[in-house]
Amino acid sequence: MLSRLKRTVNNVNLIRFRNIIQILTFILFIYGGYFAIDLGSRLPIFACPYNDTTSGACYLIPLQHQLSMPTQVLLGGASIAVITGILVFLFWFVFLNKAWCGYVCPFGTLQDWMTKLRKSIGIRYSTYTQHQFEKLSKIKYIFLFIVLVFPLLMGVGLLGSEWSAAFCKICPARIITPMFSGDFSQWAIDFSSKTAILLTTLGVVFAGLFFIGSFIKKRFFCFFCPMSALHYIFSKISIVQFKKDGSKCTRCGDCYAVCDMQIKDIADNVTDTNILRDDCILCLKCIAACPEDDVLHFDIFKIKAFTSTKEGFEKRMGIEYLKANNDK
Amino acid sequence: MTSKFKHDIESPLQKQNRHKAMEAIRIINTLKDDFKNPIESMNYFYKLFEDVFCNQKSLHDGKLKVGTMCIQIPSEIIYALDAVPIRLCNGFYSDDEIGSDYMPQKSCPLVRSTVGHFASGNFSDKPHLIYSPTTCDQKTKAGVTIESFGYEVVDVDFPRVKDSEISREYFRRSIREFAIDLSKKTGNKLNKKSLKQSIAKIGYAQSLYHKLCEYRKKKNIVISGNDMFFVTNAFFFDKIDSWIDACENLLKECKQREDENLFVNGKISPRIVYTGSPPIFPNYKVPIVIEESDGIIVADETCSSNRMFNDRVAVDEWFVNDMLDSMADKYLKACTCPIFTKNDDRIRRIIDLVKTYSADGVVYQSFAGCTVYEAEQRSVLEAMEKEGIPILYIESDYSPSQGGQLTTRVEAFIESLKTRKRIKK
Repeated sequence: MLSRLKRTVNNVNLIRFRNIIQILTFILFIYGGYFAIDLGSRLPIFACPYNDTTSGACYLIPLQHQLSMPTQVLLGGASIAVITGILVFLFWFVFLNKAWCGYVCPFGTLQDWMTKLRKSIGIRYSTYTQHQFEKLSKIKYIFLFIVLVFPLLMGVGLLGSEWSAAFCKICPARIITPMFSGDFSQWAIDFSSKTAILLTTLGVVFAGLFFIGSFIKKRFFCFFCPMSALHYIFSKISIVQFKKDGSKCTRCGDCYAVCDMQIKDIADNVTDTNILRDDCILCLKCIAACPEDDVLHFDIFKIKAFTSTKEGFEKRMGIEYLKANNDK
Repeated sequence: MTSKFKHDIESPLQKQNRHKAMEAIRIINTLKDDFKNPIESMNYFYKLFEDVFCNQKSLHDGKLKVGTMCIQIPSEIIYALDAVPIRLCNGFYSDDEIGSDYMPQKSCPLVRSTVGHFASGNFSDKPHLIYSPTTCDQKTKAGVTIESFGYEVVDVDFPRVKDSEISREYFRRSIREFAIDLSKKTGNKLNKKSLKQSIAKIGYAQSLYHKLCEYRKKKNIVISGNDMFFVTNAFFFDKIDSWIDACENLLKECKQREDENLFVNGKISPRIVYTGSPPIFPNYKVPIVIEESDGIIVADETCSSNRMFNDRVAVDEWFVNDMLDSMADKYLKACTCPIFTKNDDRIRRIIDLVKTYSADGVVYQSFAGCTVYEAEQRSVLEAMEKEGIPILYIESDYSPSQGGQLTTRVEAFIESLKTRKRIKK
């Protein structure tokens, strides 16, 4: 019974499964407000509070607000609020780890839809060279620095109040997600101060780049996402883990070939058992594309929940049905 | 009256064919008759080899035949362009003798016999053109010699560093060039549908091999290693659809034999993983000695079998270029050929095979003159020693004269493995 269940899970058509989850979570996080759903503002995804109909909000905005409090307040009474904030964020995060990115984040889903659009037109995706990739992949830490350190600088009085939630001002999600509930007002530049002009202009530029970028490159924005960087810092405490058994790996590179995030380690590293990398979005496409038994697996409480199998690979690559379709 | 005494004088070509047929039939008969519990559906393969190598029967009349010198040329592309791939690696001693006139004395018998085959031009299915990936030095230079016999040989650039991203890009381009070149020569255009179908077809053929291998993991074994080499060697030149059908029948019979407890191994037969220079029909010298000495080959790491079938193509977006890139990756990244600079993958693969197939020991054959396998011998032996896996290193060639010494060494190794097994029990 259990083995049959396992087999069904391992043979799952991951693309379809993921599509369904993504559509449902997109509706939930973009329009959930209409149904009076409120999941708080400590979510580990880009569900932007600038969209009034969201059912929950991205943690980066309260995080920046809290950190920008004057130092005495931050280290005094407010520290409890900050700590509880982090704990609530971690509470969410512990369940899904980076799968929030691959399955839930509406901003990620949007990029996958741009990819679908490109595919339907018949244009092939672009990739970065390994060298470009290594450089670009560090940008998210610059953004994370802006998220964490700029508010602190405000708190000690080194930066003015127009730097409040600086990252949100440049974040393309602020501009794009409200569009889905009919609000285009974020497509504007704030002329109230030089800093505001700079930050909001960057925001509009990034939003424009988002559409072009994610049309050309799979999961374009995720390379730069500071939330992804923040996730990575806590990834070890999650109940879900992403593991690899290198001894069985033939380094065929199938997982690397299908990886939206171009993570080379997934194929080439045969020594680390924990194979989650900072760019990973836990979409699990690599597990689905691995042709060996049990090399890559997604664990919940150390139990293999989804693992690579030969049979699953054959099903997903359309090999099994060949005879019926082709020859006879 | 006169006609009664008339006899034809054998031409050199006929003589060579007769010699090759003698070599071939000896091996076919050994496999057919000398082992216990023969498999009925193997008869398809015995017959196939007899037809092609003894009766010079052509299988692919009317098709463009594309010769390939190593496994790194994707057959998927060749099939998608409605041509037939024929792997040209050769195992005949008769051809080896001819080839030695053209290659250095110390070169490997596989390359010599391949060159010899071309020198005689004596094919049951003569390739129209040849693609030669730049793998080892000898294969690379053999391409030039073959060209001098009047064949069209196209070099396919193959990198010899495998881990780097540059190599990956390089081989991806190389495969695209190959696809464009072949497309011109066949006059067919590579399209999404045909390429996807041929990936699925090869994938299916591979899945059958994987299923056969599942039986070899079990405690009692239904199919011998030599029969498996027959099956995989047949893939070099057989019609793919017939090969698929034959393997499906074989699988059915394996299932049946398991239910009827018909096994090819004895109670204490040592289980062997075979690695090194590839056994190519009819040069089954070493594998046959192993199995005649009561060893049983449960898995192998050679380019005439496991390396050819194990790894598979995975595609994310089914565009022509994406499929080509994925294929290039598979044929480069997963390859455990010893020509690569660093080659820990090969060692890891052998250890994994030993564990997954519960093998008792490893036999490492290197053709005399195959420098890369000879060079890797030391590191592999060291790694096996570290893991506590017994290994026998054998240097061999295609000559029939080596029998006695070879048998003594293999038998001694198998005996020592048996003793180990008995003590463990």
